Amino acid sequence: MSKPTWDDVVDLPDELDDETAEQLYEEADELQDMTGEVCPYPQLEAKKAIQGLESGDLLVQETDHVPSTENVPKAVEDLADAKVWKSGSGLYRIFLSKK
Amino acid sequence: MTSTLLVAAVVGLGLGVFLQKGRFCFVHAFRDLFAFKDTRVTKGVLVAVVSTMLGWSVLYQLGYYQGFWTPDWGLTGLVGGFVFGVGMTYAGGCASGTLYRAGQGYLHFWLTLLFMGVGYAAFSVAFPTLQSTYFAPLTFGEGVTLFEASSLPAPLVALLASALIGLAYVTVVGREAGETGTGREQAAEFRPVVLATPVVGTRRLLEGTRSYVRGFREIDDPIAASKRPWDPRTAALGITAVAVLWFSQVSIVGVTGPEARWTGYLLQQVGVDASSYEYWGSILFAGEGVTVTVDMIMIAMVIVGAGIAAAWSGDFSVRTPKLQRLPNAVVGGFLMGAGSRLAPGCNIGNIYSGIASLSVHSFIAAVGIVLGVYVMTHWLYREVGCAI
Repeated sequence: MSKPTWDDVVDLPDELDDETAEQLYEEADELQDMTGEVCPYPQLEAKKAIQGLESGDLLVQETDHVPSTENVPKAVEDLADAKVWKSGSGLYRIFLSKK
Repeated sequence: MTSTLLVAAVVGLGLGVFLQKGRFCFVHAFRDLFAFKDTRVTKGVLVAVVSTMLGWSVLYQLGYYQGFWTPDWGLTGLVGGFVFGVGMTYAGGCASGTLYRAGQGYLHFWLTLLFMGVGYAAFSVAFPTLQSTYFAPLTFGEGVTLFEASSLPAPLVALLASALIGLAYVTVVGREAGETGTGREQAAEFRPVVLATPVVGTRRLLEGTRSYVRGFREIDDPIAASKRPWDPRTAALGITAVAVLWFSQVSIVGVTGPEARWTGYLLQQVGVDASSYEYWGSILFAGEGVTVTVDMIMIAMVIVGAGIAAAWSGDFSVRTPKLQRLPNAVVGGFLMGAGSRLAPGCNIGNIYSGIASLSVHSFIAAVGIVLGVYVMTHWLYREVGCAI
């Protein structure tokens, strides 16, 4: 992937259904509890953690901060593919699979 | 009076909904631009400023307006703006972001609001001293907007200013495209290069706008789409609509001014004689007594509107902050409160309403705020680095 440009249309990450999300959650190589956090700390922690993982490893962030579901994937877009699960009641899980 | 209250309710609720649905956060707009070149929200801010400027210029020309945001200009804008920019980046939300997230159920941002109040109160106490030691030496001229200073019709001035902003935007986009190689091929057709860069950028702008409009046609279920996050540009157009209504009936859109009035009013309720303080008594409440004003109602309704939009989207919940984040809310909130009075004006007053008013004070204050975000972003990202 080339370096990010000013003009990238940043698509929202794909949303996972409950079952797939639950299954993936079990397979996580690293979990980060980011509930109660605000920007930019989840972005920073994701970037630091993903740098320490092997290709194919899965990092899952659990968060209650809405903007994180978009800007955490954006922060690590060169390093990981992202999917998001939304509970519908203010809790989210961000699945980051290291490239 | 009743009709003004109705306008305040409509504008406040509308602003709350649009801010929440568009995640319209100025910290996101600038911090993520510097950190990762993420421009989603930045584009929303640009659309809001330009379309509001055009709308207000027409109303001004026709005489349907109540006044621009034109504080005296000088270095206070730079100093206060910088303090505010540092504060909002540390707190994790700007003046408008703090409001809409308070409505979304974040206790972190209620605490931020509380300490913004402490900032307003501290400023009001220090105001007589600050007037001679800070404002007098750092203020250079009377407040002025290019709309009033120019002999050209206001809509034409707004068009010229928009064209200038547009040219700057397409030049930056064009240069970026050239650097990353994607636009180099097309650029080679044109000479000289100084001309090619804006041309490539304009092409990108047109493509982006087309794909934005196409996005609406792909909506098959409007209710489901309304629950998903909206493109910040859509929110920007909604914000413009209510800001135009507000401008014709009451004033420019401000956040921290009305909040500072709330602080004085609430202190008055618990026995503090707020009206005896010069800043509250004769400046914020203009000698008309410390009471609830219509813009205070509007700001309160923003929180309600954001709460409704969040509940509708499944994003409402009472969120308790981590203990280690408390300094962000306390210190960040205080710096925002104090900085917004020192400038004066917050991100909404200066970057949104102020630039849309073409106010000289706000040009300086906007630079101060963005500089504050830049410095603070580099400090927060010191371990992983920034893109810009």
